Amino acid sequence: MLIIEDEPELAASITDYLSGESYLCETAASFRQALEKINAFEYDCILLDLMLPGGNGLDILQEIKHRKREEGVIIISAKDAVEDKIKGLQIGADDYISKPFHLAELAARIYSLIRRKQFNNTNVLRQEEIEVNLLAKTVHVHGKVVNFTRKELDLLLYFMANRNRVVSKTALAEHLSGDIADMLDSHDFVYAHIKNLKKKLAEAGATNYLKTIYGSGYKWES
Amino acid sequence: MTRLLNKPLRAFILYSLVVLATSIPAYYLIIDYIWRLQLDEHNQLVSKKTQNELSTLSLNDTLLKQSIELWDRIQPGTVLEPVSQAEMRPDSIYTVLRPNKYDPDGYINRFRGLSTYFILHGKPYRLIVETNVEESDETIAAITVVTVFFFLLLLGGFIILNKRISVRLWKPFYRTLEKVQHFNLSRQQNIQFEDTSIKEFKELNDALQHLIEADMTAYRLQKEFTENASHELQTPLAIIRSKLDLLLQSSTLTNEQSDIIEQATRALSRVSRINRNLLLLARIENNQFADRQQIDLSGIVNENLLMLDEHLSNKGIEREKDIDDAIQITGNRTLVETMVSNLLLNAIRHSPAGGKIKVQLSARQLRISNSGNGPLKEDGLFQRFSNISHESPGSGLGLAIVKQVCNRYGWEVSYSYSQDFHVFTIRF
Repeated sequence: MLIIEDEPELAASITDYLSGESYLCETAASFRQALEKINAFEYDCILLDLMLPGGNGLDILQEIKHRKREEGVIIISAKDAVEDKIKGLQIGADDYISKPFHLAELAARIYSLIRRKQFNNTNVLRQEEIEVNLLAKTVHVHGKVVNFTRKELDLLLYFMANRNRVVSKTALAEHLSGDIADMLDSHDFVYAHIKNLKKKLAEAGATNYLKTIYGSGYKWES
Repeated sequence: MTRLLNKPLRAFILYSLVVLATSIPAYYLIIDYIWRLQLDEHNQLVSKKTQNELSTLSLNDTLLKQSIELWDRIQPGTVLEPVSQAEMRPDSIYTVLRPNKYDPDGYINRFRGLSTYFILHGKPYRLIVETNVEESDETIAAITVVTVFFFLLLLGGFIILNKRISVRLWKPFYRTLEKVQHFNLSRQQNIQFEDTSIKEFKELNDALQHLIEADMTAYRLQKEFTENASHELQTPLAIIRSKLDLLLQSSTLTNEQSDIIEQATRALSRVSRINRNLLLLARIENNQFADRQQIDLSGIVNENLLMLDEHLSNKGIEREKDIDDAIQITGNRTLVETMVSNLLLNAIRHSPAGGKIKVQLSARQLRISNSGNGPLKEDGLFQRFSNISHESPGSGLGLAIVKQVCNRYGWEVSYSYSQDFHVFTIRF
């Protein structure tokens, strides 16, 4: 994984968080450095900040796509401008996340991107007795189908992407409903979804992997 | 409102009216004075001539008496009569009003008289000479008629001149005014004033040009500042958020510490949102959402409501919708979506638990109402940071963004309070 980000503190945070998820991270802090790394190595995923010393991140993206490289690219931008987002996605970026973001959210996007690339769109995630078919959007526990709502499935994937990490309720609320939860200042709905998720998993006989931590966070242990 | 040029016109007219009005007694007094002076002189001459002629005629007493009687009868306006020594007086001048027997209408006439005493053949006589003078009211009337005529002449002249001057002389002024009226700061287009040969107008144009340029610069700097400041804040905010996320992973955290992290994360979310909204406002003002397209507004409203359903039921808010199908409007999709979601979120946020929100959409208007307890202060409701309350902390920018979007497309957004409902209406 290559993190192209000129802000060392942010790059360090991302590296720190993702390393805990057994990703191997390298960083590049400038346009030139980024091109050098891309030339030298291949990555599974590249995080790309658009505003770099020495050049525009979009040019790096052009370069990657020009060489028909297989890396997934997630744009990280402080600009939050629609045009940039559209332009980036048009050139061939796989995702776009605007600053400031939760590390858990970034991890979920990376996870989803890498799964998509690696399994050529037919992937099934497995955690002991739990099986998630990402294409069919179905979940099997001990081989039996469990019916989840879209949001419950979303949450399950989010937790699996952030396994063994503490995810705050705020991050979950923002993941599920963007600004809305925050603006309404109500994060209770997260609790309701998690309760349902846990209940359905337990009823299907799955181990309780999802732990409540410190009252306001959750952790998927595996 | 009166026009500028009508102000001096009125003053001029009033002034000439006063001057001409005071000229009436002045003319009268002068004319009357001259007249009397002239008549007194005339009477004096008549009297002198009479006395001289009488004394040069060598008439005996009887003949003299007969002559005097005859004189009295046929000579108009004079009376010559003998008087006693005791009745002798110094000469006197007087004015008298009496009917004239030769006047066919029998009007009262005014006479100027001279009464003089003299000795003829050793006997005292009195000679009275009276000449008809024009009556004062007639003089005044004549002067007034003439004066009024001249006044009307002046009035007509003033009005015509005023019109011509206002059209020609003030043309550059009205052109400048028109340009300033059509000036829109947010469009950032400088005004080019026409050249004028009149000093005051030139100075006015120069001063305005100066002012407008300074305004535009200040406005541009302020917008750039907002945009740059918001921009620059995004990265440090991202760092803080990532550090808090990392801190939460620490295995030695106590419940209390984790709560603190959560609270900080929430506050940080709010800062991020305010920052994002400021950036959005600056971008709208900087015309960064110039593209327009046909948008299915019904779809947007329905989608937004669907997304909010969960939050509505969470808060126990009842929803009532009356949305016409396939309402199309023209605008930028992002802006319209933001406007709709801001209004809906606003309604939900300010509804008490167990309240109700109503959403109505027709081709002409979008109306979003929510139950409340008492009207809001309309003053500055749509201004930035005007409506932050502690019970429901929003970004303080939601309505400002709504207003800005409406301004952009010429829609009209209004707030009212009726039957315990806050009502926000957008007319397209």
